[in-house]
Amino acid sequence: MDNQAASEHLQVIRTLMERTALYRRALAPIMLLTGAIGTAGAVVGMAARIEFMHPFCRFWLAVGIFAMTGALVIARRQSLKTREPVFSPPARRVVIALCPALLLGGSLGLGMIELSNDEARQFLMVPVIWIALYGCALHAAGHFTTRGLRWFGLAYALPACAVLPFTMRPGFDAPWCLPHLIMGLWFGVFHLLYGAYLFITEKKESAT
Amino acid sequence: MNPEPFLNLDRVIHEKGRLGIMSALAAAPSLGFTELRDLLDMTDGNLTAHLRTLHEAGYVAFTKSLEGARPLTTYLLTPKGRKTFAGYIDLLDQIVRQSKGN
Repeated sequence: MDNQAASEHLQVIRTLMERTALYRRALAPIMLLTGAIGTAGAVVGMAARIEFMHPFCRFWLAVGIFAMTGALVIARRQSLKTREPVFSPPARRVVIALCPALLLGGSLGLGMIELSNDEARQFLMVPVIWIALYGCALHAAGHFTTRGLRWFGLAYALPACAVLPFTMRPGFDAPWCLPHLIMGLWFGVFHLLYGAYLFITEKKESAT
Repeated sequence: MNPEPFLNLDRVIHEKGRLGIMSALAAAPSLGFTELRDLLDMTDGNLTAHLRTLHEAGYVAFTKSLEGARPLTTYLLTPKGRKTFAGYIDLLDQIVRQSKGN
């Protein structure tokens, strides 16, 4: 075996190992934190009676950025603990898979702030579209991490897609607190439940 | 050129298909049969034959379980397999460095 063949063998090994490696950092703390922030966001949003589209989009975009920052801090702490780079090849793939749908959701929120008039009250479609896009992001990321995330993503995307046409009907009238309740349920309670499930199963796996 | 590293290369791992299996299993705690087959683009028969060889060499272990109603066979590297694979990579590295040194 010459130098060339040995180099090629090493390259094949590296490529295969990178392709196989899944993002396996514990997702439970990230889910629990995101769920807590989402639930708190819904409570604050209702307590502050944020009932128009403008402040609603601003408020929930801020909550989203806060939650993502928290998730990043947890991921960084975990990577420091395991002495791995934060953006290891599997982590990079997860982030790349998450980005398109999340960026679209973010720009939709900003667009709504720009376009809507201050008094717009019927905007249930905004949280529903956000949920659908978030579900798409999770489903895409699920191909590079634990498989359950794909199903979790579908639990967001499918109901949101089914409900979306009804929220766009002319004359559709929803109570002012419904968008907050929906955000709190999907971005809060569902994350908490999935986080608790992961917490139990990840503990079990590490015990075996 | 010192031929010793080349002579020490593990013949079981050195075959292309088995090298792929070892590389994939080295990067994951365990992988299912279909995951391995899809990743390595192998036929069922080919993959089974290579896995049997690796199992007989003591490099790969498997567990059988049920996923719903379907049987699921999961493969993983044994400590011996992991050690041998690490040694194999070290030898390849040595060959590359030796050639660069000449």
